[in-house]
Amino acid sequence: MKIQSYRLLQFLNKALVYLVLTFFALVMVFPFLYMLTTSFKLPADTFRYPPRLMPRDPASVTVAGFEEPLPLYHVEVDGQQKEYALAKSNIKVGVYAPANDTAATVDRFVDEVTPTDKTVSVAGKDEKLYDVTVDGQVVSMIQISQTTVGEFIDPKNPENKAYQNVRKSEPVESISAHPENYTRVAELNNMNRALTNTALVTILVVLGQLATSVIGGYAFARLRFPGRDTVFVFYLGTIMIPFVMLIVPLYQLMVLIGWTDHLAALIVPWIFTAYGTFLMRQHFITFPKEIEEAALLDGATRMQILTNILIPASVPALATQATFTFLYAWNSFIWPLVIINVGNEKNHVLTLALNVLRGRASDTPNLILAGAAIAIIPPLIVFILGQRFFVESVASSGVKG
Amino acid sequence: MTIHSQIDSRTNLILKVSIVWRGVFALLSAAGAIFLWFGALLPEAPLWQKVLITAVLAIASVFSAIGAVQISRRNHSGRMISLALDYLAFVTCIVIALNTGEVFIGIDALAETFTSGLPYLGIVALGYFLSVMDEYFPQKQLGAETSLKVTSRWVMLGGFVLFLLQVGAIKGILYFLGKLAQPLGLASVAGIAIFGFFLWAIGRSESAQALHVKTNHEQILSGWLFLSPNLLGFLIFFAGPLVLSFYFSFTDSDAINTPNWVGFANYAKILNVRFAMLSSPTQLAKEVVDIKIYDEVGRFIFGNSGILFAAADKFFWLALRNTLTFGLFAVPLSVIPALILSNVLNSKLPGMKFYRAIYFMPSIAAVVGISLVWQWLYNATIGYINYFITLGIEFWNNLFNLAVVDPKIQWVSDEKTALFAVIIIAAWQTMGFNTVLFLAGLQNIPGELYEAATVDGAGPWDKFWSITLPMLAPTTFYVVSTTTIQAMQVFEHVFILMNPPEGPNNSTITLVLYLYRSGFQNFKQGYASAIAWVLFIVIFGLTLVQFQQQRKSSIYES
Amino acid sequence: MKKNLLFKAISLIVIASFALAACGAPAVVATEAPIADVPAATEAPAVEAPAATEAPAMEDVSIRWRTRPDNQEEIDVYGKISTELDAELNGVTLTYEPGGTEGANYQDQLRSEVAAGTAPDVFWIPGTDVADFATRGLILNAADLAAATDTFSVDDFYAGPMFHMTYNPETGASGADSGALWGIPRDVSTFALYLNMDLINEAGAPDPRELAKEGKWDWAAFLDVAQKTRALGTDIYGYGGSAWWGPNGVWVNAAGGNFFNADRSACALNTPEALEGLTFQKSLYADYDVAVPYGEDPEPVFRAGNVAMFQNGRWATPGIRTVDFTWDVVELPNGPSGTAGNWLFWGAYVINANTEHPAEAWALVQALTTAKTQGEIAALGANIPSRVSQEALDAFLTFTPPMNNQAFLNGIAADANPTAEGPLWAGSWPEFDKVTGPAIQGVLTGATTVEDFGATICDEADKVFVK
Repeated sequence: MKIQSYRLLQFLNKALVYLVLTFFALVMVFPFLYMLTTSFKLPADTFRYPPRLMPRDPASVTVAGFEEPLPLYHVEVDGQQKEYALAKSNIKVGVYAPANDTAATVDRFVDEVTPTDKTVSVAGKDEKLYDVTVDGQVVSMIQISQTTVGEFIDPKNPENKAYQNVRKSEPVESISAHPENYTRVAELNNMNRALTNTALVTILVVLGQLATSVIGGYAFARLRFPGRDTVFVFYLGTIMIPFVMLIVPLYQLMVLIGWTDHLAALIVPWIFTAYGTFLMRQHFITFPKEIEEAALLDGATRMQILTNILIPASVPALATQATFTFLYAWNSFIWPLVIINVGNEKNHVLTLALNVLRGRASDTPNLILAGAAIAIIPPLIVFILGQRFFVESVASSGVKG
Repeated sequence: MTIHSQIDSRTNLILKVSIVWRGVFALLSAAGAIFLWFGALLPEAPLWQKVLITAVLAIASVFSAIGAVQISRRNHSGRMISLALDYLAFVTCIVIALNTGEVFIGIDALAETFTSGLPYLGIVALGYFLSVMDEYFPQKQLGAETSLKVTSRWVMLGGFVLFLLQVGAIKGILYFLGKLAQPLGLASVAGIAIFGFFLWAIGRSESAQALHVKTNHEQILSGWLFLSPNLLGFLIFFAGPLVLSFYFSFTDSDAINTPNWVGFANYAKILNVRFAMLSSPTQLAKEVVDIKIYDEVGRFIFGNSGILFAAADKFFWLALRNTLTFGLFAVPLSVIPALILSNVLNSKLPGMKFYRAIYFMPSIAAVVGISLVWQWLYNATIGYINYFITLGIEFWNNLFNLAVVDPKIQWVSDEKTALFAVIIIAAWQTMGFNTVLFLAGLQNIPGELYEAATVDGAGPWDKFWSITLPMLAPTTFYVVSTTTIQAMQVFEHVFILMNPPEGPNNSTITLVLYLYRSGFQNFKQGYASAIAWVLFIVIFGLTLVQFQQQRKSSIYES
Repeated sequence: MKKNLLFKAISLIVIASFALAACGAPAVVATEAPIADVPAATEAPAVEAPAATEAPAMEDVSIRWRTRPDNQEEIDVYGKISTELDAELNGVTLTYEPGGTEGANYQDQLRSEVAAGTAPDVFWIPGTDVADFATRGLILNAADLAAATDTFSVDDFYAGPMFHMTYNPETGASGADSGALWGIPRDVSTFALYLNMDLINEAGAPDPRELAKEGKWDWAAFLDVAQKTRALGTDIYGYGGSAWWGPNGVWVNAAGGNFFNADRSACALNTPEALEGLTFQKSLYADYDVAVPYGEDPEPVFRAGNVAMFQNGRWATPGIRTVDFTWDVVELPNGPSGTAGNWLFWGAYVINANTEHPAEAWALVQALTTAKTQGEIAALGANIPSRVSQEALDAFLTFTPPMNNQAFLNGIAADANPTAEGPLWAGSWPEFDKVTGPAIQGVLTGATTVEDFGATICDEADKVFVK
């Protein structure tokens, strides 16, 4: 009996864990999901309320006697749900009643009643009188209110008609997808060029940064020379300094050497980082010294030791740093914003192109989110591929740092 | 043991030439420094550039002279100085040559052709694949193994050559050479040759022997050599600008005209604030402070009176207020749930890695893209968030027969919620990252501690408080301080999410946003630099406080 | 071992040449530089061919120019115009680059580009920023160039914008012989109400176009339509206005107030008239609750068919042409002052102060503002020609939909007395806006009362008038 309840408790406990985890997972995933599905929608579909996740297309049907295909709606005819086509909208309908008995209302199409010149005073207000036919007799009535309806017809039998409010009618729709949004946004905003630029910048930054930080980190970790520790402390001290501190002087430096508006300004300054060097040093310092000393005795140079022994053994650490740098370079925004001209779309990176796109396509969220997807998906793929390195490395950076 | 071999005549000659060269180098640098400072070599350049170049030249000159003396005294330090100076000059010449040849600027052009070469990079990948295959067929035949390796190498190289041809390398090289054929380019090429020659000359092992160089000297040299690419770049693109930023913060630099020294004026304007007593909560600011100088930032009301806070630069104080508020909420909101989630994830149930990966996703996506997505989620009339709230309220109202009114929150256009909208995105984005950090910390806690506690009869809650939290303290410190540093720099979220970025009634103007606005919209770059330093002090102060806190708590625990 | 060495040597050379590969394409760029739009290329091949043979590419002066387009259609039209003018203007090679958008800090980025020396030769800036660019010395005073040009006359353009374009900040004079000319207006625009006739009919509300014709279109009638349509449902709004100074200013102006005093040297937002306008605007949001919440972009809501009257400029027309409900435009309702309080929006082509080719740049500015060019752009529907001529106006009326184009012309007609958007020569419009915009938003969202706003706003806003 006790075991039983213990098992139940265990089970409930597990269920709770999964419930909590799944809830948070949904919160984390939903914006991405929304981004993807919206990027496949038609513009009108994105403005719908209540919002719907999946992209849908309105259905239409060709009806004899009409040149254009007519949109289909769910219409209630004689208590039955039917799919009718909207043939005509904006038909004015009035609610009319005799001046002396405003509760006895009748509904009529506005063009079926005849306005007269006469007026009548109702509750101290002059109201226009209309000639309304009720049961074959013409009655003078006032207009209580007016609205519009649409004329819906049975696509198979256009003689069957129904009238109801168009705005509140539910259109017939089917789930669809519009991948052409992606091609459109690529052409629209030079997004494909921005993608190329971003890729190039990212690749060069990653390779350059790895190169300088590997040899720099090796010098810090393994070579003894006066001044090393001072420089290292200096490096460490700057890790905390936020980049925005440098944005003004670095901008002026770029103006001075003529790199504003060029991709070089997005690449070269990022190749030399204290943080990357620090990480590599931390990695190399854990490496057993004996192997290296043996190699030195065999007459290997430092460079040979680095390229033939240390680097092959450090692939996980390198991959870690590469993924970090990749994300940083890929996602950076404020520096490109400052240094790359708004008009020079040839040199825009994805984040800048998105910034322009959000103004230029502000009325088509499907395109904006397609653009956002182009910027977000490549890092996600890199993440999925390098997940193991990545998550582990985040962990190690935290524990050691 | 020093080898007493006779110095051969060739080495002797080289050393003599080197001494002369050092002298010439010293004289040329000195002349350059003097011309620059007193003459009209760079009349347009701002003061800091003049100071910098003169200083570099003067130091080079002095060291070169010392180097000449040391070489003549056959002291190894002469070789070191000589190598260092020539190396620096050599690198400088290469950079000048590349820049004259427009290599750096030319990266733009590479971006144009680069995609067309991508298929050839596929060949490189194929080569790499071959070399990997090699490892899977080890030592079947010794010959075959090496030949596969060699083949794969050549395939990779060939693919790369094809790639280069495709992206227009030949045209590029011709263009480069054409551009180089101008005075500066030719001079730098000549410089490369001369400095290169002397690097070789003095670096020869014969010269080293003649100058009594020992192995530890070689290590010093290779140490600096290995460090130099990173260090030089770091000095030019990080440390230098940092110093420059400090200098700018004392000037009225506007990026167009030469900056003037203004002393502490920028800082004084930022810090120029007034507190005044209010006789009634609604008393106007102009009755208590000089409204020509000060603007009202806020008021603290106590009953029938209050204190008015006014500042000469109200935007800065609003920005500081918003940034601190942002940090105050965003940091706990991204740390506490992360702590809880990591403890849940730490259970040994299947599927935890999957959840961990899911939680991590937001932190790798571009903030710009993410903010655009959330902008539509936040839309007050058609957005999902308000839709979910409406659904929730309807559900509760139906369930309990309540009449809760749908608040229809205007997330980004109401000054009361705008900053929270930003906070939510930031917390959402960093939560997963922090979870993984905590998880790593948790996995480092030895399991015996928990086992011992279980034996002592401690419940899960006790274990959490008495083992998990104290053992996690270093991780917590790291997580909290990095999240805080990040939070203090919030910019991209507000820049994209809000239109205008300052938000309704300046409710989302942040320090970095104000820095950007001052420096790159109004071009008060001196003032922007001062803001940057104040921001740094804020960050530094916060980190220091957290560090103290952590130390204190860890002392208590032990 | 030897093989290894050979391999290393070749690798080194290859990698070195990778660095140099970077310079590959400048040559390519130079030959392909003018972005030829596909439609443009097909339409003007006959003109282009002889021009290309006449003037060898080497001697051509290269001129870059830029405008701020709001959508792809505009980019296409400007790209086409650039190709046409390239063929017309001798000795000039034109490159059109679309700038950012309103949301992407178009003017701010331009300033930093002029500072860095990478800005185009000719660019468009909004009227509000002309003073800032001029007094900072970022744009060229073209008065001398204009004096030497017989075909140019200041009077050909709307007087409101030209007052500012010819303002001489040193003498305070303005007009044809003030000694200053900062550029030529690209176009003008004005507000109208875009109507969702489906909603208005469904609500049985009176047709605003009819009311306007009868002279009954005032604030009360406007409120009536807004309330009737709002009653259709909780997600249906009677009115939508964007959150920037333009819509705010309309209510202030229509009540007889103004942002500034008569010579634009001080804030006038604390006058009773200005506050009355603001009070009415606030009531649309708070008391009557007929409007799309302030700060939320009403355009998507309107295009989703959920706003009856959407206040926006002519520039919104191309986008709204794609909606699938019945729509039209009507002029803004008249306020207590008897006018609608509309703005005359404008922006101008100006010349980069550091251009190497001022004469060619001036020729381009003129070519961009000829009646023909303006007609082509206006045909797109996004704006109204800045030249005052009956032909231009007649042509504008044919650019339908909307059928009621006359509403826009009524908005800029002299008797509607529109306030010309303009820079503050005695201060800075962007700075003024940075102070007053958030404060007005505070009033409209209920954070501040109108009284508190009136008591404090000008103390703060007057600080931008320091020059």
